[in-house]
Amino acid sequence: MSQPVSRRDLLHNVVRGSVLATLGGGALFLVQKAHGQVVWQVDAARCINSRLGDTGAEACKLCTTECVVALSAVRAVNEYAKCGRCNICPAYFNITSAVDEKGLPSEKLCPRDAIARKPIGKADPEDPANNFYEYVIDEEKCDGCGKCVMKCKEPLGLGSIVLRVRYDKCVGCNRCTISRACPKDALVQIPVEQALRPPELRPRTE
Amino acid sequence: MKPRPRTVAFRSVAFQGWGALWAAPILGGILSALLALLLGLSFAPILAAQAIPYSRPVETAPQQDTIGGGYKTPAVQKPLPRDALFQVLDVLILAAAMGISVWLVLQRRSRKWAVALTVGSLAYFGFYREGCVCPIGSIQNVAVALTDRTYAIPMVVTAVFFLPLVVALFFGRAFCGGVCPLGAIQELVVLKPVQVPPRLDRALGLLKYVYLALAIGLAIKPALGRDFLICRFDPFVGFFRRTGAPHMLLLGGGFLLLGMFVGRPYCRYLCPYGPLLAWCTRLARRGVTITPDKELDCGLCADACPYGAIDHMRAVRKDCLYCARCYASCPCDGDLAHAKAELVTLS
Repeated sequence: MSQPVSRRDLLHNVVRGSVLATLGGGALFLVQKAHGQVVWQVDAARCINSRLGDTGAEACKLCTTECVVALSAVRAVNEYAKCGRCNICPAYFNITSAVDEKGLPSEKLCPRDAIARKPIGKADPEDPANNFYEYVIDEEKCDGCGKCVMKCKEPLGLGSIVLRVRYDKCVGCNRCTISRACPKDALVQIPVEQALRPPELRPRTE
Repeated sequence: MKPRPRTVAFRSVAFQGWGALWAAPILGGILSALLALLLGLSFAPILAAQAIPYSRPVETAPQQDTIGGGYKTPAVQKPLPRDALFQVLDVLILAAAMGISVWLVLQRRSRKWAVALTVGSLAYFGFYREGCVCPIGSIQNVAVALTDRTYAIPMVVTAVFFLPLVVALFFGRAFCGGVCPLGAIQELVVLKPVQVPPRLDRALGLLKYVYLALAIGLAIKPALGRDFLICRFDPFVGFFRRTGAPHMLLLGGGFLLLGMFVGRPYCRYLCPYGPLLAWCTRLARRGVTITPDKELDCGLCADACPYGAIDHMRAVRKDCLYCARCYASCPCDGDLAHAKAELVTLS
């Protein structure tokens, strides 16, 4: 440009430059203290449905009703290694329903029929009670109502089913709406690396 | 090891095989309940002293080797959050979209293509990314991260907050036009905009400063009292997620309905990111410019602007939302001119 820079333009440039420097400084400050992702997770030791001592109560359904995602991002997860693989699973069957001709409860517990039951190996027809069964939760069907979680614990279950946030569904709200409603503050924020570690290695929060 | 009476009673049954217990569920239930009650009574003080988290009889669960027959324990599903690479991609798309917005509006002066960009952004940032992360909400996270030493935000959030401001420093509110999904959804419903009286416009415009102050004020409180107002009362995120609390959907619907007659009401009167962009825009080198012709003081552009951003035939850059309607309506340079409508010289 052959035209000389006017005083007004110069002033503008100076102010713009300083604002830019301020923004850059702020960004730099935030970046140097930034860590990786933080995610919400259900603390099984706090959740009413999975923690011990709350047996026989009605399952808490807040995870289903409070989540902002259409079908809650919290789902029931079966830790297969801990599963007792029982013949009559208290989380699969409604064990208070009438017994059918095969000697099994006639009703299922899951309102969305999200749990599948299949025998492991060949079931002995003479002694079906001693056979093992695998219970697989269809995570796409489950809405995290927690009924099975409540049943899969003392005195009948081993507590292999817990509620857990699925990160492909969770949109990561600043303040999880379930945590706002949860009476036990069971939703906690943890670093993502920790969330993906097996739960046994996770330090207890209580 | 603390005594665990209930577990012991339970395990003695369990050791004879799990099935035995389940073969007679009712009997087993009563039996174990009775045992538990008896033992519970005798060990009552110990039970009470026991803290809630005690280990479960997980060791009794049959494992791969005890089940045999080549059985393999299935893997537990652990879906990962959106990959970091994709998050960086989101930031790049945001930057690119703002670049395209600037180019389409300032260089091409094309309303048609600006609308196309708006639709694209609404689809991607709105319905695909479901409105998160957005610069508007990130105000709170940035405010908390700047004040709380223990709180940090991912770099992606930092970038999402600062990028539109930097663009505004040079070119004005390119983010508002055609990029911001909240703006886009309102932009597309503008049907028959009325000009809001300037005084009322200015008075309502003060609301966004109140909202900004309130949002920051509630966000920087100590961790437990912290509240993220902007996210909680985002009127359109319910549409993007195709679900939401009824009152929020109703509010969003109300804004869209109002938006048919008052151009982009949320952006002009409530958006807390608007003031930040407006402040940066004051320093902008370039922006939408209207140069009234000596012979042609028609004012069609001012009539076309639904946001009251043309004052005395001059674009008010801090209010300009980059929609390019003024260019499209210009008889000298726009759709009218492109339609080859020739100017008639009156003699």
